[in-house]
Amino acid sequence: MTRPEPAEPAGEDDTDPQADRWLVEKARAGDLMAYEMLVRRHRDRIYRIALRMLGNPADADDVAQDVVIQLWTALSGFAGTSSFTTWLYRVVVNRCLNHRRGQRPVGELTDADHPRAADPARRVMAGEELQAGMAAVAVLPEHLRVPFVLVQLEGLTYRETAAVTKVSEGTVRGRLARARATLMDEMRDWS
Amino acid sequence: MTDRLTCGRDADVLVAQVADGNPSPADDHQRSCAHCQAALAEFARLWAPVRAVAQHRPRAPEGVVDDAMRSIRGVSTDPDFGHIDEGQGQTRIAARVVMVLARHLAGRVPGVRVALSGLVAGVAGHSTVVEITLAADYGQDLVALAARIRATVADGIRRHTGLEPVAVMVHVDDVFT
Repeated sequence: MTRPEPAEPAGEDDTDPQADRWLVEKARAGDLMAYEMLVRRHRDRIYRIALRMLGNPADADDVAQDVVIQLWTALSGFAGTSSFTTWLYRVVVNRCLNHRRGQRPVGELTDADHPRAADPARRVMAGEELQAGMAAVAVLPEHLRVPFVLVQLEGLTYRETAAVTKVSEGTVRGRLARARATLMDEMRDWS
Repeated sequence: MTDRLTCGRDADVLVAQVADGNPSPADDHQRSCAHCQAALAEFARLWAPVRAVAQHRPRAPEGVVDDAMRSIRGVSTDPDFGHIDEGQGQTRIAARVVMVLARHLAGRVPGVRVALSGLVAGVAGHSTVVEITLAADYGQDLVALAARIRATVADGIRRHTGLEPVAVMVHVDDVFT
C-alpha cells in the first residue's frame, strides 16, 4: 500500500513556505514581530501535534507554550535546508517526547504493560469515539506513535517523516504498519 | 496482526488499505471474496475512532502564543503610548497595538503575501509614523500596491484608534512567484 505523497504536509490551509522563509529570516535577525507572526501562523499545527502525541489538552497547551518560547532561541539552529514546517515538526515531536519522559516515573512503557486507554463501557457515550482514538494513539510506544502521528494523522510523506525522525523511509513504513496493527488490536478489545 | 484470512490474503494489507481510507474492495479477488469483504467491513468499523482523531482539527487555545510572547518580551518593554484627549479623560493606546493593527490592515490588501509593521519614532501625542515591510505577489504594479497599502493602513488606524498616521512608509522587501 502506498500513500499519496503531497508536496506539503497536510495541515493549515495557509501553508506558505515562501512567507515562512521570509519571516524566519527576519526573526533570525532579531525581529520579534516577525517571529510572533511566524508562530501565530503555525500555532494550531503546534497544538494539534502536541495533542495527538500526548492525548491530553492540558499537556498539549503546556508543550505548545514551551515550543513557542523555545523556538525563539532555537531558530538560530535552523539551517534552512528543510522547510520550516518540517523542522517545526521535529521540534514539537521532540518536546512532546521529553515532556512524556519528564512525567514518567520509571523506565519505558512496553507493548505488554501500557495501560488500556479507555473503558470499553464508556465507548457508548456520545463523543467518546474521538476520546477513545486519542487515548489509544497516546499510549502507543513512542517509536510507533511518532511515525503514526506524522504520516497517518498529519499527512506527512514517508520521506518527510524519515527526515523528522532521522530514520530510514523503510523504518518509517515498518513502524507505521506495526502502529496500525497495534491500534486495530486495541480497538478490537474495546468494541 | 500477521494473520492470513481464510482466503490466503494478508490481514495487514487489508488493515493498511482501510487505514489509507480505501475500505471498499479494491481488486477482483476482494470483490468476489466474502472473507475479504467481511474483514474490510470489520476493520473499517474498528478504525472509526482513529478516523475521528484524523478528522479532528483542534485550534490552539486563546493565549498560547500571547503568554509565550510575553515571556519572551519580558515585562514593561513597551512603554510607548499614544494619547488622545477627550472631554472626560484621556485614552492611551500602546505603540504595539498600532503596530499589530497596521500589520493586519496591510496583510489584507490584495497582492500582499506577508507584511510586518513598525513605528518610526513610536507614537507622539496623537500622531504616529507607521512603517510597513512586506513581500508581495509577483507581477503587479508595486507603486500602486504601495499606494493602496498606505491608504488602507492610514484610514484603518485613524478609524480604530483616533491616532493620526502622518506618514505610512512602505518597503517592498521581496516578491514571491
